[in-house]
This record gives sequence, structure tokens and C-alpha cells, in this order.
Amino acid sequence: MNDTVLKIVVGAFALIVPCAKVSGWLGDAGKRYAENRAAMSAKPSDVPVAAMAEDQYCTPQLKAIVRRVAGACGLLGGSGEGGRGCQPQTAQSVASLSGEDFNALFLPLSKRAHIIQFDAENTELDDLGKAEVEKAWADQRGASFFFVVSRASTDGDAKKNEELSAKRAQSVLGHLDAKFHDPDLKKEVGLLWLGEGFAQLGPEFCGWQRSRSTAAETPCTEKEINRSAFVAWIDCAI
Amino acid sequence: MANLDDYDLSPDAPSKSTDDSGSTDEMGQLKGASGLVRIPLALLLIAALCGAWFAATSTSDFVQHLDREVHKIHCSYNPSAEIESTIESPCRTVMLSPYSSWFRQDYWGGIPVSLWAIAVFAFLAYRAGHLLVRGRSLRSEGFFLMMATLLPALMSALYYWLAISKVGAICKVCQGIYWSSAAAAVFGIVTLVMSKGSDGKGIGRFALGLVEGTAFVGILTGVYLTMAPKADPNAGGPKGCGTLAQPADENGIMIAIAPQAGGTPTIEVLDPLCPSCKAFDTRLRASEMGSKLDMKGVLFPLDATCNWMVTQSMHPGACAISEAMLCAAGNVTGQGNPAEARKILDWAFAHQEELTTQAKTDEPGLRKRLETEFPGVKGCLGGNQVKNKLTKSLRWIVANALNVLTPQVFINGTRMCDEDTDLGLEYTLSHMLAGAAGARK
Repeated sequence: MNDTVLKIVVGAFALIVPCAKVSGWLGDAGKRYAENRAAMSAKPSDVPVAAMAEDQYCTPQLKAIVRRVAGACGLLGGSGEGGRGCQPQTAQSVASLSGEDFNALFLPLSKRAHIIQFDAENTELDDLGKAEVEKAWADQRGASFFFVVSRASTDGDAKKNEELSAKRAQSVLGHLDAKFHDPDLKKEVGLLWLGEGFAQLGPEFCGWQRSRSTAAETPCTEKEINRSAFVAWIDCAI
Repeated sequence: MANLDDYDLSPDAPSKSTDDSGSTDEMGQLKGASGLVRIPLALLLIAALCGAWFAATSTSDFVQHLDREVHKIHCSYNPSAEIESTIESPCRTVMLSPYSSWFRQDYWGGIPVSLWAIAVFAFLAYRAGHLLVRGRSLRSEGFFLMMATLLPALMSALYYWLAISKVGAICKVCQGIYWSSAAAAVFGIVTLVMSKGSDGKGIGRFALGLVEGTAFVGILTGVYLTMAPKADPNAGGPKGCGTLAQPADENGIMIAIAPQAGGTPTIEVLDPLCPSCKAFDTRLRASEMGSKLDMKGVLFPLDATCNWMVTQSMHPGACAISEAMLCAAGNVTGQGNPAEARKILDWAFAHQEELTTQAKTDEPGLRKRLETEFPGVKGCLGGNQVKNKLTKSLRWIVANALNVLTPQVFINGTRMCDEDTDLGLEYTLSHMLAGAAGARK
């Protein structure tokens, strides 16, 4: 064979083989790319999208109560500027439930709720109370609503007890504001004060996370547990 | 260098009277010469074919990623062996490094250097094969062949150095190329020594050889550029995959993880114990494009300890490290420095596997270790305020309805598509930055 022809034959073979292989690989990749693009546009991504929490305990009744409180506090449908000025409402109008049924709604929150205890006739948070409030607030996770339900014991005048419970709720809010300077506070905290007349806590709540669980000198009685603010993040889409 | 045939070291060099123009008589003269040179030529041919095979394996692995998906790749001295069993490997690290391909800013993925290796080895195989069949090598032909073998040998040396000093990983397929190059160079030298005869056309032959070699590289490159999948002009790529709905940092949760004065504002959603985040960070640092970004990080630990969006912790310990970063950066108390947070991030990246393993069984131990390594986070780590801050970080993710995955990168508010964060990083970034600059004008 002529040497030039030999060179051309060998050279062409050496060039055509890699060109054909590379061309084939690229063609396959291009085909897969086109198929993937078509599949992506036909089917939405199955990667989950970040969202607030929605726990199983979010019953319609619980959501209704939270919504009413949120509405009363100006948290819904606005800028949240009304967060500090919840309008007083009667507990019955908020709950439309018996006291027992109202409390039953919160039973699934046993791991999430904290009970902040106060001294009799007192609306100031003690150190244990402050620490418990801070702990509760920091454990927000995916919740979008911080519920403060304050109460008073049945000792004394009912009207005064309502005022006491209202101030206890404000005391919790005030401490959160002072401690965390959280701009979302006004959008997230709803206050409900029950005084002594509605949904009193039973002694079974003494077993929940509470600010004086370690204070042996103050035994947990029904009156003690109701001189309190029940605080909890609600893992429901409100 | 008046004439390359002057480089005749053999004692029995014939006179400069013959040529290899192809006439039957001249071929007969050539065939009559010593055939011993066929031995190094055959070995050189084998080395070139091996090199081409390794380079083809590497190119094939590279090319399959042009469909923008993640594939397993070969990582063995035996190219015919099964593909790697795991996604992470030194071979992948090398493939995704900016040194694996050229012109990355102009073409998605760039042109793989292994493609040119195929061309060079194919050219060597052609030259060696031709001389082997002919059974005779003139001095000028041997010299050119030897010189041609030096190209892959020198490139191999350069790439070996890059792999060691810059990438920190060596791929086995690449080592196959290195060894083939070395062997080809050795047999090229032996071929030169055993080559005999000259025809006075050495310089012309050398020039022609250069043209031929360039043609091999050019034609294969042309085929590649013609056939490579083109980005969808209507979606993805530089157009991005969505925008941030609420990019503002109202709660002070972002950390300047790679600040760059005058750089394009960029947000990376990351998890300090996420291997993909680490890999992305490494790629971005290695890329010159990284210096054009003013990067802030939003922490998104995929750890169920603090993140309600994951039912099982993908990266245990990520919450603790995220807290430490927020503490160190000063996002909680106002006392700190983002550079300190960056140190924690680098430390977490460097010890990812070990930290994740520890956190699975001893999360408090991990927190103590963080306090030991970074004393500045003491008193803040694990506190209510930093937990609150981390929650705010997660809620920023929710407010922007982002996918539950990391990393996610937003260039001037536009999300870089996930498939563009590895091989297509430079191409996509350069085009997105050009778009961002245009928008700012």
C-alpha cells in the first residue's frame, strides 16, 4: 500500500472512532436532557416546600378559638400592630364551649405548653416564671401563634380576679418584649384572660411543665395552678 | 535547528537520499530497513490506546452529566470495571473541580480536558500505528513522535500537581492517563533512539505533524461543541429557577460568610453538615467566579432537633453548629464577628462526617466540643435567644416558600437552578452575574 494512503487510512480510523464515540455520548446526553426538561415541565417537583407546622391536635375547635383570640388581638388580617391591645372578650364568646371542653382542647399540648405561676394577688413574674416564659418562647419551631391564657384562683372578687389575670397575661407579653426585642412579637402573641370564672385548671395540670415544679415549698394545689398563665406555641396554620 | 534529521544518534544512519513520499520503490527501501523499531512502536501504540481508553472513560463520565443530572462515575484503574458504588469519590471531586474542563464560562460544563487527551492519544496511536505497519521510522519521524509524546506527559505532570496541590484528590482514571502518558513518553524516546535514516524533509514533516495533531484536537473539539446539549433558552440556566419573595433580613439572621465589597448580593441557604453544601463551597472557592459574589448565608439545618420541616434528622448536629455560627457572628447578642462564624463553618465542613456521627449519639458532647473549639460561643450556645434566632432563620425559609433542601443559591434574588451548581457553575454564574449587572444599570 502506498505510504500516504496508509497514513490516511490509519489517521482517518484514529480520528473517526473517537469522534463517533464522543458524538454518540453527547447525543445520548442531549436526548436525556430534553426528556428531563419535558418531564420537569409536565410534573412539579416532589421536593417538599418549607411550611409552618400543622400538628395533629389542630382540631377545628382549637383553630376557631385561636383565630378568635388572634382576631381580638388584631393579629389577623393586619399589620399586627394591635398585638399589645387585645380587646377583652368574655371567655364564652371566644370559646363557645364549656370550661372542661375548652381545657380538653389543650390536653394534646402537654409537651408544648408551660404554666407560668404567680404569687397570690400578684401579677409580676418571678425569676422562675421569667425563665419558663423564655424557654417556652425559644421553642417556637414551626408554630405561628403563641397563646397566652391567664387565669386567677377563685379567691376574692371575680372582677378583681379578671383584672389580675389580664395583668398576668400582659406581664408575660411585657417580659417577652423586653427580653427578645422580637419584631414578630406583635404578629404572633395572642392573649386571653379568663379570670376565675371559666375553664379553671384541674390539679392534673400540676404534672405539666410549670415554673414552680422544682419549688418544694409551694405545693401545687388547684388554687396555685390557676394563679397562672398557660403559654404555648400552637403548631397550627391559623 | 536547521534540520531535524541532524538529530540522528544511531551509528548506521543512512544518507539523506530517501524519502517517504509514497512511491513503491521508496517504500521498498524503507521496508528493507531494521524492523526492531516496531517493538517500541507497538508498545507506544498500546500505551496510546490505553491512554485513549482512560481518557474516553473520563470523557464519557463527564459527558453524561451534560444532561444536568447526577450520575455515578468510573473510579477504578480498570475502565471496564463497574461504575463506582457511591456518589462521592475522589473521581467526582476531580471531575467537578474547575481544572477538569476549559472555557467553563462560555459553555455549560466547559470542554473537558480529557477530550483533548483522547485527541492526543488517538493522534499518537495513529502516528505509532502508521510507523508500526510500515515497519520503519525515520529519525525525523521518531523525533516528532517523541516530541508528541511529551505533550501528554507534561500535561499529566501538570494535572497531577493540580490534583495534589489544588484539588486535594486524585482520580484513578486520571492516574491511568498519567501512567499511559509516561509510558508513551518512554517508548517515544526508545523509538527515537531506534529510528534510522533521514530524507532531508524533517522540518516539513514536523510542521505537517503539528498540523495533523492540531487537526485531531480541533476536529474533536468541533464535534463536541456542535453536539453538546444546549441550555433551554426558555427556562432554567441563567434565567434561574424562581425568585425570593421576601429577601429582606428583618430579623438579623443572615451571616456574611464570604463578603466581597462591590460583589453581587448573593444568599446561600445552607446546612453546615450538608456534604453538598461543603462540595459547593469548595467548588465556589476554587472558581474565580466566587470572588464576584458578596455572599451571605441563611442557616437551614436539616436536623429535626430544631427544624420541624424534617421528620428525621438528615444531618444530626446541624442545629448545634448553626446556633454556634449565629452566636459567633454576633447575630444574637450583637457581639461577634461574621469571620468567626465562617471559621466555625469551615471547621464543620472539615469534620462533617465525624461531627454527624458524634451528634447521633452525643449531641450535648458536640455542644461541649463547640464551646471548647470556639470559646466565644459560651453562654450563648443552647440559650433561648439563639434558639429563637435560629427559628427566625427557618421561618425566613418558610416565608420564601423554599424547597426543603440545601444548598440553594440566590444571585441578586434569583435562584440558581440546582442542576447548575456543579459542572455548570461557572457558565451559569457568569451569565447570571452579567444579567444582574445589566439589571443594575
